[in-house]
Amino acid sequence: MTEENGLTDKEKANYKDYALLSYHHIPGVHNLEVFEKAGGYEMMKAAFLKDPEAIKEEVKNSGLRGRGGAGFPTGVKWGFFTKDRQAQKYLVCNADESEPGTFKDRYLVEKNPHILIEGMIISAWALGIQKGYIYIRGEFYHQAVTLEKAIKEAYAKNYLGKNILNKNFDFDLYVHRGAGAYICGEETGLISSLEGKKGQPKLKPPFPAIKGYRGLPTMVNNVESLAAVPWIMRFGADAYKKWGTEKSPGTKLFSISGDVNKPGVIEVPLGTTLKEIIEVHCGGMKDGHALKAVIPGGSSAPIFDAETSYAVKMDYEDVAAKGSMLGSGAIVVINDKRNMGDVLKWTLEFYHHESCGQCTPCREGTGWLEKVFKRRESGKGLVSDIDLLDKTAASMRGQTICALADAAAMPTQGMIKVFRRELEEYVSTPVKK
Amino acid sequence: MSDTVKFKWNDKEIEAKKGSNLLKAALDNGIDVAHYCYHAGLSVAGVCRMCMVEQNGVPRPFPACNATVNENIEVRNDTPKIKEAVSATLQFHLLNHPLDCPVCDQAGECGLQDNYMLHGKYDSQMTDKKVHKEKVQDIGCDVMLDAERCILCSRCVRFTGEVTKSSELGILNRGDHAEITVLKELNNDYAQNLVDICPVGALTSKDFRFKQRVWFLEDVHTTCIGCEVGCSVKVSQNKNGAYRVKPVLDEAVNGYWMCDDGREIYKHVSSPTRLHSLVANQQSLFVPAEEASLKEKLKNKNVKLILSTHLTNEEYRDVFTKIKDLNLAARVEVALYRSPDVGPIFDGILKRGNKNANLKGAIKNFEQFGFDASDDHCKKLMANVKDSDAVLFVLPEMSQSLDHLETAVKQISKAALKCAITPNEEWSFVRTFDFLCPVPTFLEKNGTMLNYQGLERTLVAGMSYGDNSKTVASYLDWV
Repeated sequence: MTEENGLTDKEKANYKDYALLSYHHIPGVHNLEVFEKAGGYEMMKAAFLKDPEAIKEEVKNSGLRGRGGAGFPTGVKWGFFTKDRQAQKYLVCNADESEPGTFKDRYLVEKNPHILIEGMIISAWALGIQKGYIYIRGEFYHQAVTLEKAIKEAYAKNYLGKNILNKNFDFDLYVHRGAGAYICGEETGLISSLEGKKGQPKLKPPFPAIKGYRGLPTMVNNVESLAAVPWIMRFGADAYKKWGTEKSPGTKLFSISGDVNKPGVIEVPLGTTLKEIIEVHCGGMKDGHALKAVIPGGSSAPIFDAETSYAVKMDYEDVAAKGSMLGSGAIVVINDKRNMGDVLKWTLEFYHHESCGQCTPCREGTGWLEKVFKRRESGKGLVSDIDLLDKTAASMRGQTICALADAAAMPTQGMIKVFRRELEEYVSTPVKK
Repeated sequence: MSDTVKFKWNDKEIEAKKGSNLLKAALDNGIDVAHYCYHAGLSVAGVCRMCMVEQNGVPRPFPACNATVNENIEVRNDTPKIKEAVSATLQFHLLNHPLDCPVCDQAGECGLQDNYMLHGKYDSQMTDKKVHKEKVQDIGCDVMLDAERCILCSRCVRFTGEVTKSSELGILNRGDHAEITVLKELNNDYAQNLVDICPVGALTSKDFRFKQRVWFLEDVHTTCIGCEVGCSVKVSQNKNGAYRVKPVLDEAVNGYWMCDDGREIYKHVSSPTRLHSLVANQQSLFVPAEEASLKEKLKNKNVKLILSTHLTNEEYRDVFTKIKDLNLAARVEVALYRSPDVGPIFDGILKRGNKNANLKGAIKNFEQFGFDASDDHCKKLMANVKDSDAVLFVLPEMSQSLDHLETAVKQISKAALKCAITPNEEWSFVRTFDFLCPVPTFLEKNGTMLNYQGLERTLVAGMSYGDNSKTVASYLDWV
């Protein structure tokens, strides 16, 4: 991909196929100099000449939806934010990517931290924010270092700091490393953690846009959402909407793991079929095994069997219509040699470990799901335990402050729906631990 | 008021202030809504998930404790969906609970028991090993913690964070291994409130533990005599004695709380040192005496009557009326003994340094009947006691300044006849007195007191533990 055909760095940027990974093939693009030569920070400079409201409008028109998992339109979320430009408020980039199967943000920032920084500066300008934080998952040490280095470079060029490029606009940006809790990827949990408190979600209302970090208005956006902003600025909302479907416009990063030949991160338009992703982008199933199931949106998304997997289009609506969710776009491909009981066991262990323990249904429920499912280890498992699991998971849903209880309950119920017989056999077969 | 609006809870029309807490509005209107983490005196946590409601036009159920009252909203918690959810959530609460009710002090007034009978009654399907946590932890200030019984409602954590601001408590770990823990040992003057607000048996009082089953107790709603604040309290008692004191909501005076000193006020009421008759001092031993013997000695003596600040307004009035009616003014001199301040004037929460419970009421009555209530007068009177005098000293019912009281008692010791009017003979210096005359305690009399704000609070008589007690005024009959 790095062929030298006498092209300038700028011409090397592939805006045609990618909004987010346009620069990823350019060697050394994590350096500000290289990034700028390839056209980086142009949009930031252009944005300063634009009316902030026009930028917000453009993002709204692009139909960009929050890429963290919930898929709420970013422009609409920005619309709820205070218009008082003088008031103290915060922009927080959620880079606490912790959902099992998800590694897209990590890939995005480790190769090209500046696209995120540029996106954040434009967003901060649009929203009139003076201070930003990138809350990055603690385990992403190298990515945090990369970001800090990039921020330093941006400060040196006065793209960050006081009176940026003499535009009478201040924006300070900091990297904050999390301490390894999945729950801190939930925006209010993230804010608690950022405030130095135990990483526990807060009651809503009030929403962070009204009362967030330190009780002040806070806009929390995913890495991928913010990084898409410069492209939308460059080519406009209409160009962005040419990708994807009507309700799910644009491109999306997918992190694909599991039994495929070429796992990794790809950027494709929303609405690309899962079959194309597996067969074309990932080079098909590994070792010639057959596809058994796919988790389409990270560990909390209900599982698809092979048939549904090959029928689904990867956009918010179609995945939801088929009973799961697009989530953060983490595709876990499972072949027919895998036991679904093991998959569920690991899923339940994860959520039990990550429940923050605030709300009773989640605190007690996640632990109990795991215990019931593991009764086979003491030789006490019964076929009827599957019904108990289903019922218990159902009673956890919609009962808690954040969505972690749902995130544990949904894959449980989804797995039971699709692979009940296999799970029944699994739980009723005693094993030695 | 114009900001009062109407809304419906399960079809019942309720009036409440617009924007006020929805759950509180329901509870204040007598609707029984299951809840653990909500406490009107603390911030909202919204974690127990028991007060879930549905509202017309709102897509998802939400906890009433984090919602506000709005005009014409229709809220329900009696739909099948909510009932099922509450029952399921209760099951989650009880999942790892040890169910050691037979040895738990909370049994009988436990939120888990109550709600199981109202909303549970399911058969447990929990056959797995429960999560074990540390039991019997002495966390200081006479509070015991059993982390296994805890349902992590976080009321106690919020109390130490918000009310006492001492922040001794926190929640350690996550998920079902989360447990309440002390960051440092409890060290505040309000720790016993933690026992009150704990909806289960996780926090118990060392003073009350294993002493009595709560269903054998009756509550008397009365007023604390520990200091000039006069907190509204309830004393739990039965025929064997009084067992504990808890605060009662009184917005104007103490809100939801009371201090730990106030928890002690029941102790002398049914203590073994209670007097059951008039007793006379025989070589430092008090033995029952005939009333006639005291009457004889009092006859025609000049009497110095020293009143305490623990009497009711009615008792002062009766004393002064008797002096007037029996024309005793020439022979009886009256003064008011005040206990000195202990600690700061006000601790910023509730506690006040002035321990003279009914000082305001005493002064008011003294002045009304033309007597001098000043401390100077009292000091002068005590200094001027002659060896021919008789002294009737109504001792304070309780004191945190026993040295000061002992000095006062020593001062009057040269009097020919020294009588203490007191409910018990607990303090060693009462041996200075020739006679001890039994009177009822605050828990055995009806009456009123004025607190430091000038607010009138009522004493209510419960059961009586002292036989042959007579009122202070009735002893004047013998003068």
